[in-house]
Amino acid sequence: MDRPRDEFFSEEDLDLRNLSEDELIAYWNLWLEQAQITNDLDQNTYSHGVFETTPAAALDLL
Amino acid sequence: MSNIYLELTEQFNRGRLRAIISSGQAVVLHRLAIMSKDGDWVLREDRQTMERVLGVLAGFGARYRFGAPLDTRWFAGGWSAHFEFRRSGLRVRTDFVTRPPRIDAAMLDRLWRETDPRQPVVDVAALAEIKKTNREKDYAVIGELARLMRDPRDQLLYSRSARDLIDLAQSRKLSGLVSELALKRPLLNEIASGRARLEEALDAERRALIRANEQRLALYRDAAQPWAAAWPEVERKIADRPLLQAHEIVVARALELLPFAP
Repeated sequence: MDRPRDEFFSEEDLDLRNLSEDELIAYWNLWLEQAQITNDLDQNTYSHGVFETTPAAALDLL
Repeated sequence: MSNIYLELTEQFNRGRLRAIISSGQAVVLHRLAIMSKDGDWVLREDRQTMERVLGVLAGFGARYRFGAPLDTRWFAGGWSAHFEFRRSGLRVRTDFVTRPPRIDAAMLDRLWRETDPRQPVVDVAALAEIKKTNREKDYAVIGELARLMRDPRDQLLYSRSARDLIDLAQSRKLSGLVSELALKRPLLNEIASGRARLEEALDAERRALIRANEQRLALYRDAAQPWAAAWPEVERKIADRPLLQAHEIVVARALELLPFAP
């Protein structure tokens, strides 16, 4: 029996390794399309860089 | 078949390597997971690169989001610049730095020297450093990145699995290397204490890294306060202007309000 190992991602995530280049891009594009559903929720957040959210003072509330 | 982030990267790099895909989309290209909507690049810190990237973004109709100007003077201080545009129903966000966090000058130099222009993606060790953020999920990424590393030295420095670390140290008879690297990563001293103790040390290390990144971001947040207060006025001025004109306005105002370094 295989020894257990520490898991960080699901099998589904790690299955990216088995996709061809075209399959990876197709799946990536589909993921990006589906992720648009959260655009309103993350309107003022940042994924990278030195900001996490738009500072309240920078939001034009007029 | 293409993808917007690959297409942008190809345009940024036409004729010369200027932009290396980083962070979330680099995780995709290392085939670990898809977990970010936004694109992130490490840019060369030179004027020609800034002009090229701005020109490409202008062609896509991008607009500035709150952040630093895309300009070497602010990038040299570690700031990031942020843009957004729409393309085929997607909201595309593009984020840029020239000095990614926790990457020292030698590692950055190596990144530019060794990155294959045909595959401009940050390598797994640099990506692991960049992913030492204040987000829990990024430590799962580091854990899997460590499993892609070939050099035992890198595996010992980045693994987030107590089991992997113990197996590595025992199976490869690396006690000398473990002792050497423990100067840089003290939790390696706990390998001999067993899995439970090592897991506690991994948790403590993660929390310490999270706090360190929070403190780093707080410096930038505080230094950007005057810039943030002026941003609504700046945003109104640039709202209907093409990106290259908007950029001139952003730079002129940032020179008054945003220090080059926090």
